[in-house]
Amino acid sequence: MITPSGLAETLLWGVANGCIYILLAAGLSIIFGVMKLVNFAHGQLLMIGAYLAFTASVVLGLNAYLSILVAMGGVALIGLGVERFTFRKVLGTDKLNEIFVSLGLIYIFENAAVLLWGNKSAQIASPLHGLLSLGGISISYDRIAAMGIVIVILLSIIFLMKKTKIGLAMRATSQKSDATQLMGINIEKVYIFTFALGAALAGAAGALYGIIFPFSPALGALPTIKAFAIIILGGLGSIPGAVVGGLLYGIAENTAGYVLGGIWPDAIAFVLLIVVLVIKPTGIFGGKGD
Amino acid sequence: MQTKMLVAIIAIAIIVVAAGVGTWQLTQQPSTSPSPSPTSTPTASATSTPSPDARPIKIGLVAGYQIAEGQDMDRAAKLAVEEINAAGGVYVAAWNTKVPIELVIADTGKDTAGETVGPVTRAVTEDNVDLLIGGYTSAGTLADQVVAIENRVPYIITGASSNLVTRRGPQGNFGGLPADDARRYDDAEGMSYMFHYCTTTADYSKTVVNFFAQTMKPLLDSTYGFDASRPLRLAVIYRNDAFGNGVLADTKNLIQANNLPVEVVVERPYQTTATSFQTDLTVVKDAKPDAVYVVDFIANTAEIIREGQKDVGLNTVYIAVECCEDPQLYTLLGEYGGGVLLESKFAPYAGPPFYMQSIETYVTNYQAANAGKIPGMMGADTYDAFFIAKAAIEQAGTVDKAAVRTAIEQINIPQMLIMTQTGTVQFSTSTNYHEIAPITFVEQFTYNATLQEARPQIVYPATVPGIGTLKQADFVLPTGYQPGSP
Repeated sequence: MITPSGLAETLLWGVANGCIYILLAAGLSIIFGVMKLVNFAHGQLLMIGAYLAFTASVVLGLNAYLSILVAMGGVALIGLGVERFTFRKVLGTDKLNEIFVSLGLIYIFENAAVLLWGNKSAQIASPLHGLLSLGGISISYDRIAAMGIVIVILLSIIFLMKKTKIGLAMRATSQKSDATQLMGINIEKVYIFTFALGAALAGAAGALYGIIFPFSPALGALPTIKAFAIIILGGLGSIPGAVVGGLLYGIAENTAGYVLGGIWPDAIAFVLLIVVLVIKPTGIFGGKGD
Repeated sequence: MQTKMLVAIIAIAIIVVAAGVGTWQLTQQPSTSPSPSPTSTPTASATSTPSPDARPIKIGLVAGYQIAEGQDMDRAAKLAVEEINAAGGVYVAAWNTKVPIELVIADTGKDTAGETVGPVTRAVTEDNVDLLIGGYTSAGTLADQVVAIENRVPYIITGASSNLVTRRGPQGNFGGLPADDARRYDDAEGMSYMFHYCTTTADYSKTVVNFFAQTMKPLLDSTYGFDASRPLRLAVIYRNDAFGNGVLADTKNLIQANNLPVEVVVERPYQTTATSFQTDLTVVKDAKPDAVYVVDFIANTAEIIREGQKDVGLNTVYIAVECCEDPQLYTLLGEYGGGVLLESKFAPYAGPPFYMQSIETYVTNYQAANAGKIPGMMGADTYDAFFIAKAAIEQAGTVDKAAVRTAIEQINIPQMLIMTQTGTVQFSTSTNYHEIAPITFVEQFTYNATLQEARPQIVYPATVPGIGTLKQADFVLPTGYQPGSP
């Protein structure tokens, strides 16, 4: 039975879930846009972020929302190492090399997580409790907080891309990397910063995910697939595309589940992806984004 | 000279007969005086030397080491082997000596159907195990048991709640599967090597629906003044796989067959990959149920119960199935565990005194060997299975697989960690497929603010024939409970 309040709630939850997807997809999109690198281990960075936030929350007694900063910093550092010691060696060679490096990283991250944190599910204890109810529509304070945090992070990214030198260098590199080098920009520094930034966004997504949902070392695979679907939907390398794609994906997924049944969300979300690609193969913002 | 020869022949005959009688007595002992205790095993004859064929008994543990339940099985198996070997091992009459158990690990990863066949094949064909113990998911076990069936290796299955693992053959009437179903297995002899030491989906649902009909409905009627003709409104939210669909089908069949005053008002399947359930729970809430039956494994079950209360405001009675009986469930539920029900058959946190005594040693030893970890249910089944294997081999007097199979069929030893309807471990003898009859019960959780976790007490059934009192507390409606439609 479909009720107006049920449908409205579903749409709202779709937006909330979409916000976490946006963060993950934006990181993937930035890395692809600037470095032209396809990182299949991006979801594992989200998983590591969730565990780092969990550890900060449990061991250091940090507020769950402050632990997001620890996750961002920690995963950014891991990103530095990954870019420096793995991807840099194969970047620009055969695309298959990059793909196999990222596939290898999936297993390394998952097994490292099992060794460090064990196999059991965990969840970050939130200081927020209860629901906000308005006119028969309810949403938890954690999801409201998640939406607010994602907006702040996205605004910061836009500021960084538009108003800072490194942002300018990243945009220049994304368009013409050879010409950028001729202009004296150290492209390796741009790459390492880009990968660390993308990883930090995955870390933030992981911390938010861990506050709202339980997670385990096997978490990364599905979010990676969703993030790829979102950036293809929105347009490869486009941050606005990641935002719109993430929201559309979250809403489609939740609405399909509510209207058609719990076994349909992924199918409908991917049908949406196929429809967009048939109509506009470059995605919604393909070729126009940052 | 002839006299000397005659004396020698008589002496040899006496020794042979004495040895034979001794062997007979020793091999018969487990069935006449059953005990899982390693200290009660027979000792080697002092008059004969051990056979040169004597070797360790190889038992393959089929467990997914990438999942928490598999790790619990591993810890329990190692504890059982350590205890058996510390007490001298397993007496094999044919070898006239006790031999240790050697554990062979068949690591099935996450125990999916695609992961189980390889490790089990290696254990059977390369390591030449004498017996297999374990198996967790139904899909994984249905796949890997084929290796054991084809190679005639006794397999004590301690997980896999689908009864197809024992009934997919002719003796189980192919589990009622249609003629073209690939899961049918037309090999009665091979299927006779399968033993199911675990609760089935029908066992789950029987306890659950009986609890609703006998305990919760009368409480709702008296509390809210409902008419006696009003059935209890039950919602079933379940993972869309063989396990979830099996529980739903058994639940509906049991309600119908027994004409129970319970109505399934909404059935809500979801993808096995789902991690968020708000939309499913919204549909459930719209159906206005009195109770919600959650059919999934630990992490999703905890998440459904949390989201139901925290995100959707569905303040109802939630009941989970026994595969969730693990310390992790209590941790994940946290404050949302208060009032939750769990159908179970092994409860390290609950149980009347007689029951706690029987598992106390196990829990203590398990914790001592594993840095204080609390054991889960899957490990308890597995631990018992090693003592069943030991008793069967001692009864068979050999490691011959057909003889061991027959010995397991005839086993009759006292219940250990898992309570049974008869108080003994006996695989069903009235049919040709082998299952036990475990006792299952319903626990209700109470939140403990100091522990920041809930702890359970048994609320149903009150007593069990031949066992005694089980119930520890009355079932109560959770704080803030909202009943379904009048």
